Amino acid sequence: MRQALLGFIARLREAGVRISVAESLDAAHAFAASGLERTRTREALAASLIKDEADRPVFDREFDLYFSATKSRPVEPRRGRNLQGMTGQHGQPSESGAEQPQRKADEPPEHEKTVKPSSRKEQGDKAGPQNQERDAQAQAERAASERHENQAGAAAARSREAETKLFSAYTDLDYEQALKALEPLKRRFRVRLGRRLRLARRGRIDIRRTIRAGIQRGGALIDLRMRTRRPRHVDLLVLADISGSVRYASSLMLGLAAGARECFRTVHSFVYVDRLAEAGFERGYLHMAPMLDFYARSDFGRVLAELVAARRHLLNRTTLVVILGDGRNNRKSARADLLRQVSRRCRAVVWLNPEEPERWGTGDSAIPAYAREVDEMIACRNLRELEKSLVRVA
Amino acid sequence: MSCIDFAPQPRDARFRVKITQEFVAAGLRRARYVTNERVETALYLALALEKPLLIEGPAGAGKTEVAKVLAEMLATELVRLQCYEGLDEARALYEWNYQKQLLRLQADEQEGLGWEQLTQHIFSRDYLLERPLLKAISAARKVVLLIDEIDKSDEEFEAFLLELLSDFQISIPELGTVRAQERPAVVLTSNRARELSEALRRRCLHLFIDFPGIEQERRILELKIPDLDAAMAGAAARFVNSLRKLELTKQPSIAETLDWVRALVQLGVKEIDQAAVRATLGLLLKHEGDRALVESKAAAIIPRARQAH
Repeated sequence: MRQALLGFIARLREAGVRISVAESLDAAHAFAASGLERTRTREALAASLIKDEADRPVFDREFDLYFSATKSRPVEPRRGRNLQGMTGQHGQPSESGAEQPQRKADEPPEHEKTVKPSSRKEQGDKAGPQNQERDAQAQAERAASERHENQAGAAAARSREAETKLFSAYTDLDYEQALKALEPLKRRFRVRLGRRLRLARRGRIDIRRTIRAGIQRGGALIDLRMRTRRPRHVDLLVLADISGSVRYASSLMLGLAAGARECFRTVHSFVYVDRLAEAGFERGYLHMAPMLDFYARSDFGRVLAELVAARRHLLNRTTLVVILGDGRNNRKSARADLLRQVSRRCRAVVWLNPEEPERWGTGDSAIPAYAREVDEMIACRNLRELEKSLVRVA
Repeated sequence: MSCIDFAPQPRDARFRVKITQEFVAAGLRRARYVTNERVETALYLALALEKPLLIEGPAGAGKTEVAKVLAEMLATELVRLQCYEGLDEARALYEWNYQKQLLRLQADEQEGLGWEQLTQHIFSRDYLLERPLLKAISAARKVVLLIDEIDKSDEEFEAFLLELLSDFQISIPELGTVRAQERPAVVLTSNRARELSEALRRRCLHLFIDFPGIEQERRILELKIPDLDAAMAGAAARFVNSLRKLELTKQPSIAETLDWVRALVQLGVKEIDQAAVRATLGLLLKHEGDRALVESKAAAIIPRARQAH
């Protein structure tokens, strides 16, 4: 039994679920405590091994495969691989018939009692002839609720995948997924940022709260409470490249930035390809004025010139400039000197780069020239990194 | 450091029950909590292995309720710690009662006691204000400790919880280590406002509670609202279920469903139709946008709910 459990854990690890030694010990205890009933064993192992609902579909699949085929025998690796081939077929009700004879052939019949068949269709078939109507109904119900929960697991898995998928591998479909994942992320971003801003360690002393805290110590003012410096005098200026190569990352970042509006005094968003346009982000859609030509060749040098010439009033000591782009300038002049000007006038200039760091500076990338002029150049290759770096920047 | 005994009474055998799966199932039934095998098994394991149980899931799916039911099942007290930003040890664990200590010092001064005696006096149990965590650990019998919305607390507090959750002991510098006589049953809930640390996840059993399916919700409705007829319960469950499939800002919780159906019963509505839904939708959906969305789709949703039964 222990062997079987260890084999199962090894398979889960192979499938990408992180399981610590302590957790596998827990699983062994849970296994022993849960008895031999199949659904109980399944839930017991899930409770002790799966700590993220996103891993649940993987667990269910592996559980069905592993414990339907081998109950009392340790698995041989060859067989394990053989089963893996069937992974794709599983879950389609029509395949369950094909699966059954194979299992019957290499399994003694007395196992039928403890090993409940893995597919729901079979459950129905079996209960019918035995005239156990009540049982069948209960099982159907359970199957329904199981399906329902698996949906939740699948949704969790999707949103995690959307958060960690590389921007460079995005398709339109991925972008749709990412937009769905954006909503909770936006909230999280706001909470994180708000929390950090509230925790003032410096600043003016808040007399009222200090005295209030001092009552605890018989009136001695030991704990100093600080007044948070609100509102912060920070204006956010976002510049996002929406040319083909990075447009997904850019629109997601504009969405995130729009969510944190109240943490800044003002927020100005601009998008660019070869020219500059003011942008807004509403209900998941990006709109801009004037309309840009998406297929123009991006030219950040010219955009910088426009910014310095026409929007000079926005650039001052309170402005935090966040630029998102890959700095691929189509070999036009980089105008890094203009970026230096901007950097001198503003509080800080931060560049978020959705490209992998290995590719910076290759081909037509002007990143090295720009990197010298900005305060920080951060790689953010997926949604999660993007959020993290925005929290750090703000 | 000495190990002190906060509860000198001998272990009370009356309250010790043998934890079996049947006991958990019966307890859930007795507490009138409609659930599935997943929750049952997780609760059983949490009790049998004496491990904390981390419950995640959407708001309003009945996470906190599990802890209440657990307390009812074990016929014991529920100690609740509501987490919030800036929650610190003084609020969660213990605090010295400074005012009382000061009083004591002044009283002792007049009697002329020495330093040794003074400090022994003021750092004793009498001057300790117990907060939920210490209370749960030092209780004479098994209690249920609910740490609600752990994701709202700060990272530091989460790290501090680790000692408690793995060893069930707390060190108080002036007194020594307090070790739990009876390990409390610990339930943590999280809404995923932020990711919890791996270390915390590792120490807990994990349970994900989602909104109930149609069948399960129907049973909940019938159980909690006795004067509701079966057809109506089914229709209501189906309607709420179809609402949850829409892209709403806030999906209706179980409690809201119960409120809504109670209102329908109160109004004497016999069948769920457009007019009834429009009049009472405010009980289910608390956002203006959601309400507009549902009303625009009402024609599509409601007949489907009716024709299905």
